[in-house]
Amino acid sequence: MDFDDDYYSGGEEEDQMLYTDDDTDAEDFDFIDNASDSSELALSNRHHVRNYTVLSESDIRQRQEDDITKISTVLSISKVAASILLRHYNWNVGKIHDEWFADEEKVRSTVGLLENPVMEYKDASEATCGICFDTYPSGEMLDAGCGHPFCSSCWAGYVSIAINDGPGCLLLRCPDPSCCAAVGQDMINLLASGEEKEKYCGYFTRSYIEDNRKTKWCPAPGCDYAVDFCGGRGGGGGYDVTCHCSCSFCWNCTEEAHRPVDCDTVAKWILKNCAESENMNWILANSKPCPKCKRPIEKNQGCMHMTCTPPCKYEFCWLCLGPWTDHGQTTGGFYACNRYEEAKADKEFQEAEQQREIIKNSLERYYHYYERWATNQSSRQKALADLQQMQTVHLEKLSDLQCQPESQLKFITEAWLQIVECRRVLKWTYAYGYYLPEEEKAKREFFEYLQGEAEAALERLHQCAEKELEVYLNVKDPETDFNCFRTKLSGLTSVTKTFFENLVKALENGLSDVNAHAASN
Amino acid sequence: MANSNLPRRIIKETQRLLSEPAPGISASPSEDNMRYFNVMILGPTQSPYEGGVFKLELFLPEEYPMAAPKLGRICLDILKDKWSPALQIRTVLLSIQALLSAPNPDDPLSENIAKHWKSNEAEAVETAKEWTRLYASGA
Ligand SMILES: [Zn+2]
Ligand SMILES: [Zn+2]
Ligand SMILES: [Zn+2]
Ligand SMILES: [Zn+2]
Ligand SMILES: [Zn+2]
Ligand SMILES: [Zn+2]
Repeated sequence: MDFDDDYYSGGEEEDQMLYTDDDTDAEDFDFIDNASDSSELALSNRHHVRNYTVLSESDIRQRQEDDITKISTVLSISKVAASILLRHYNWNVGKIHDEWFADEEKVRSTVGLLENPVMEYKDASEATCGICFDTYPSGEMLDAGCGHPFCSSCWAGYVSIAINDGPGCLLLRCPDPSCCAAVGQDMINLLASGEEKEKYCGYFTRSYIEDNRKTKWCPAPGCDYAVDFCGGRGGGGGYDVTCHCSCSFCWNCTEEAHRPVDCDTVAKWILKNCAESENMNWILANSKPCPKCKRPIEKNQGCMHMTCTPPCKYEFCWLCLGPWTDHGQTTGGFYACNRYEEAKADKEFQEAEQQREIIKNSLERYYHYYERWATNQSSRQKALADLQQMQTVHLEKLSDLQCQPESQLKFITEAWLQIVECRRVLKWTYAYGYYLPEEEKAKREFFEYLQGEAEAALERLHQCAEKELEVYLNVKDPETDFNCFRTKLSGLTSVTKTFFENLVKALENGLSDVNAHAASN
Repeated sequence: MANSNLPRRIIKETQRLLSEPAPGISASPSEDNMRYFNVMILGPTQSPYEGGVFKLELFLPEEYPMAAPKLGRICLDILKDKWSPALQIRTVLLSIQALLSAPNPDDPLSENIAKHWKSNEAEAVETAKEWTRLYASGA
């Protein structure tokens, strides 16, 4: 191996474990003495320092109220006037302070806040409405503090049209075209219907999120939470955030969370997928013929290890259709199915796959990465569903069967959460690989090595959490080796987590360690 | 029928348009529909449209004055998002007259004129004069 254990020279002991070729067999994870310690560690790491805050609707209202109070107190203006200012200045309290104290008059005239209300028309007993041209007792007329009188029914019509026209109503001004006096929330409360007031308040709340460069709505359909992102990109956190609704997304581009890939690459990749989607649909049909007996085998489990139905029982890899015995450590070989290689299957099989090949050949390279990207995506969905099932059904059953309190089974949930996260990362490494230039040979080689190791590590974890657990779910007598299983799964979870964290860092650094390596070799 | 419950505002505006017409502008309601106006605007002096008469049709929708008058394909901000119920037919027509004096190529009265205008102002002025002679004179 060219790139081996000195890669993460500063890493912890656990990092090193993954870089040794002979010691990674699942059975050998006995170096973690205290399994419960390691799962606590995993839990606390998952909640590391966050540079963002999730806001509920009431949090937003509270923040608005706080800002309004602050501005109203510091500037000695009414709360209505403070809301008008905040709306105009996109909720930027600092900017309002600066500009107000630099030139109050200018701010007032831009925003439409008159210092002293004009009431001349009130001196006369009657006034003419500037909209319906009818005459009313001046006491029944209303104005926005500017002295342009309109009757209340014309005002109501004016306000209603503005509110039904959209969020522009938050910046409503006096109907007189030469006048810029702002129409504040007090007027709205006086003139609008209940339904309209509700709409107006909705726009007002939304404006806090939508006009503020630090906040965005969670993109999950039907989710009402917003995210306030405080940190810059630094600190290695990237832009990935997780909403209370459990949706993880990139705060910068609002696509799903995509570390270690950057936003531009994600945008390019999504565009590419749209362009190629028809071809892909055909290829990604859910079944493939068994490479041995040619019967269609449906992929229904999350991991790539397929076993054909009896009597064939042939074990193969879903991705490369090669025999499973060629995979993993037992053969001493290296987990090569993430690499693109010419189809190695026998001729007869190739014929059966002919149409597949025709399409493949036209998109070979893209297809290679896309299929792996999409497969990890669906494996992730499957893992999420399994996790759900685990939490609602299996844990209870397991607790009964193995005579273990459910609190002692947290390591299983931890494992599944880790699988879900790893599938997401792994998925994006395929977009990363697609855009990694062919010329960068050393980087590509290293990347493929890391990716292969990642696939293998995750595959072991997934296999253990999925298939080995099944044994304990179906056995009536408490198995004596359940504690072994606990140790193994906790160990796999912890090691896989560390490995993936390092993988993400390495890819986000643009694999810069490779150049140093190449130079020293 | 359509005229029976005409809002007071429209009646008042119409009366004023007829009794005190703005210079170079005439607007008269159609006999069978008081919401429908035949408008003529004289091409402003010193403008490429000088000597021409522009005929327009103006219609006041049911929602008027909360909604703007309808005026064919004329591109004026006050007929769209800048409309205010405190504006009037008279203000709209004065704005059109102003537009004829200083056409804004980014806010096209007519797309074709605008195209010429941006590429070659002198030529566009000639075209406008030619069109005025052909279509608008003696109407
Ligand atoms: Zn009125
Ligand atoms: Zn006013
Ligand atoms: Zn959400
Ligand atoms: Zn992004
Ligand atoms: Zn088979
Ligand atoms: Zn494979």
